[in-house]
Amino acid sequence: MATNPMHQFQVHRIGPEINIAGIDLSFTNASLFMLLSAVAICGVLFLGTKQKKIIPDKFQLISEMFYNFIAKMISDTAGSKAKPYFPFIFSLFMFVLFCNMLGMLPYSFTVTSHIIVTLLMAIFIFIAVTVIGFVKHGFGYLKLFVPNGVPVVLMPLITVIEIISYLSRPVSLSVRLFANMMAGHTMLKVFGGFVISLGVLGGWLPLGFSVALTGLEILVAFLQAYVFAILTCIYLNDALNLHH
Amino acid sequence: MTNLNDFKTRLKIAKKKLKSSYENEDNKGNSSSMGSAFKLSTDLVAHVAVGTIIGFILDSWFDTKPWLIIIFFFLGSISGILNVIKTAKQMQEKN
Repeated sequence: MATNPMHQFQVHRIGPEINIAGIDLSFTNASLFMLLSAVAICGVLFLGTKQKKIIPDKFQLISEMFYNFIAKMISDTAGSKAKPYFPFIFSLFMFVLFCNMLGMLPYSFTVTSHIIVTLLMAIFIFIAVTVIGFVKHGFGYLKLFVPNGVPVVLMPLITVIEIISYLSRPVSLSVRLFANMMAGHTMLKVFGGFVISLGVLGGWLPLGFSVALTGLEILVAFLQAYVFAILTCIYLNDALNLHH
Repeated sequence: MTNLNDFKTRLKIAKKKLKSSYENEDNKGNSSSMGSAFKLSTDLVAHVAVGTIIGFILDSWFDTKPWLIIIFFFLGSISGILNVIKTAKQMQEKN
């Protein structure tokens, strides 16, 4: 049913069913849009870096802007030690941004509105940051759970609280992105449905809302990619520069 | 005035600028305020949820049904509120 606001989030198979060792590996619309965003990122960056002009064209300008934006973000939040992780954070930001933005096109599918996608990215970041922390500091990384200047009596309680706080990182990282994208797209669809059901007489008000919400959603799409990347930087900063 | 005619000069200047911004480590964080608002709101919920889930798992391990989930729910809430206070303090220090 086209008026169902949740219909847009349905994953369906495109092409033949692929089943390897009991796992369904068929190509779906979700895989299609992930592939599309990866191709779009590569396309934009390839076109942007093909000819190095003194007066940049559109693609070169946008590639330079993305590069400077991420480079500045990493240096501001995590310092110079995080410079080797630039490619990872850059790809992460670009992937989330392009998935969000492609989702804003009519008839498209928003990959990041599925919690499995965002949770997988968040868990990967969580594990990577933990491994980096242990590699850089050894067991000294566990000091993260024992803040300085805490009375001995409160120590077990504070440690448990800090562990909960550490474990909730991937949850909050993934839920934030998924909930924002899903709520926004559902709302757009609901207001779109109002336009149809109220007809020519009453449909103008929800139409106006729809237009305003589209603007807001584009802002949210960018902002969520930014928050996702900056929080990765902050977690990386905790792992690289251990201090409170 | 530096000669900007060729691309290499421009690239060199950009690289120098980037290097100096990497070296300037005191200049930490200027995330947009809407971004921090999103962070604070989800953090508060996520901490409570994670605390409760940990309590639930420990309960089924130790067979102490309702107690650990209650304790960890409150620990999660404390952790969430402490985290918000910590983030708010960091935001204040920046300004």
